[in-house]
Amino acid sequence: MKSKEIRLYLYKIWVLCLKDMKLYYFKGPTVVMGVLMPLFIWLTFVVGKGFSFTESLPMLIALASFFTSSSITPIVMPWEARQKTLEMLLSMPITIYIVLLGTALASSLFGVFISSVLVVIGLILNVIPRNLISLALGIAISSSCYSFMGLLFSAIPSDIPANAVMLSSAVRLPLIFISGVFIPLSDLPSYVRPLAFISPLTYFSDLINYSYSYDSLLNPLTDIVVLFFLTIISMVLALVANKRTLMRRL
Amino acid sequence: MSKDVVEAYDLTKSFDNIRAVDGVSFSVRKGEIYGLLGPNGAGKTTTIRMTIGIITPDKGEAYIMGYNVHEEPIKVRSFIGVVPEISNPYIDFTVWENLMLIGGIYCVPKEIRIRRAESLLKMLKIYEVRNRKAKALSKGMRRRLLLAMALMSDPDILFLDEPTSGLDVMSARMIRSLLLKLKERGKTIILTTHNIDEAGILCDRVAIMNKGKIIAMGTPEELKIKFGEYTRILLCFNRKVDIELIRKYFDSYETVVQGKRLTIICRSKDLREVLDQIICIAKEYNLNIEEFRATGLNFEDVFIRLIRRNRDEI
Repeated sequence: MKSKEIRLYLYKIWVLCLKDMKLYYFKGPTVVMGVLMPLFIWLTFVVGKGFSFTESLPMLIALASFFTSSSITPIVMPWEARQKTLEMLLSMPITIYIVLLGTALASSLFGVFISSVLVVIGLILNVIPRNLISLALGIAISSSCYSFMGLLFSAIPSDIPANAVMLSSAVRLPLIFISGVFIPLSDLPSYVRPLAFISPLTYFSDLINYSYSYDSLLNPLTDIVVLFFLTIISMVLALVANKRTLMRRL
Repeated sequence: MSKDVVEAYDLTKSFDNIRAVDGVSFSVRKGEIYGLLGPNGAGKTTTIRMTIGIITPDKGEAYIMGYNVHEEPIKVRSFIGVVPEISNPYIDFTVWENLMLIGGIYCVPKEIRIRRAESLLKMLKIYEVRNRKAKALSKGMRRRLLLAMALMSDPDILFLDEPTSGLDVMSARMIRSLLLKLKERGKTIILTTHNIDEAGILCDRVAIMNKGKIIAMGTPEELKIKFGEYTRILLCFNRKVDIELIRKYFDSYETVVQGKRLTIICRSKDLREVLDQIICIAKEYNLNIEEFRATGLNFEDVFIRLIRRNRDEI
């Protein structure tokens, strides 16, 4: 593929990303599942356990990144199908992959933005990360990974966004409890622990702990590499699954 | 000789073992308005979707400007503008934002994008509402916005699926006159419709589809000539006509009774016999004939006869 073509594709992905940002950042499901949900889960845990903000900030960042990045992608395709805009979009000089990558980018940037706001609030309150590079890399890669995970749920051939949100919640909520966010991995029952290692949240949670306290179960490089591969796997699965069910949406 | 800009060969598509389109072939010349005409479920929309590469045919191929639609979909779609039958602009965007989005997707440079959007909105008479959200527009305005969106890339070929469906008379008329203007500017237009009058007014050539197949093709005039052996008689009596009476006398002809009005379609060679019957009825039942007209078939009659003939053959 020529570099001019690649530039054009990237530009189109950006145009579609801007469209999704304007259209979906303030939609009900995005605000509820992406912003309010992690906030209330965090508050419940912090108040219950009596943790300080300093102690619980890494947990809040992990939750926020996970929920916000995976909040837009499940709803976009069903919403486009419902609003009858999908066919118009597909009749333009773009492929379904460009549409999906635009959506994934919008969702990732939402996760990066909310996580960055929390990091900045931490800095203001003197909660300073010890390794900013691992924190930034972790937020960037995990946001992409979660957004592609969310995109996978949007492949269900339904034009009701709530169906995709329900399915994604049914998978996302259990993942939190097996990923070492609330319960350290070492305290998990032995039969649950292997499951923790298929969850991207486990590696991000570990990486964020490292970034703030150098206290981590795995090597930070391992966390980054695994997160990167999980992102690629999620992306391929999401693109293939959505392409397969596309015809049933029209 | 005009060049074919759209070519479809043997397009075939089934959904759940039901054949929606069955071996459809047609070609469209540069600068003409070509109509796919047929009743609901005839396969018009599926044919359009296959022709522009939104769905892959089970069999057959389509070419636009010489490029294979399924091998080079991005290239092909850069030549075309499409208004799908059931589609909407982004309702939470303003009219202007919708146009800018489309301009962005087609990579139209910003200055040209702005100039073109202004000119299209003025031409379609929706410039005044450019800052209004699409959800606040009437159905006719939304349809005009969709047309403006399809024209944002200044395409050579326009595909319109039922462009005036569900619109009020004024909006439909406006869209039709706009399509004729676009034709004058050299655009090629392919439209689907089940509105026979619309096809007769707009289209240079039509293909009549039924049950997934093209059952007739030609100019509206050619199709009317094909049925030249038929005559349509229109009568208006001084009072309401009894349907049973008409059935009794004109059992072997196609008749429509509407109050005082009677329409009879007969073979031209039977015209004398039919006229004798009419005079006989008028005398016997003391009816005055206030209006009488004998014409060739109109396009609607041709369409109905073609569909019926096709149904009988099946």
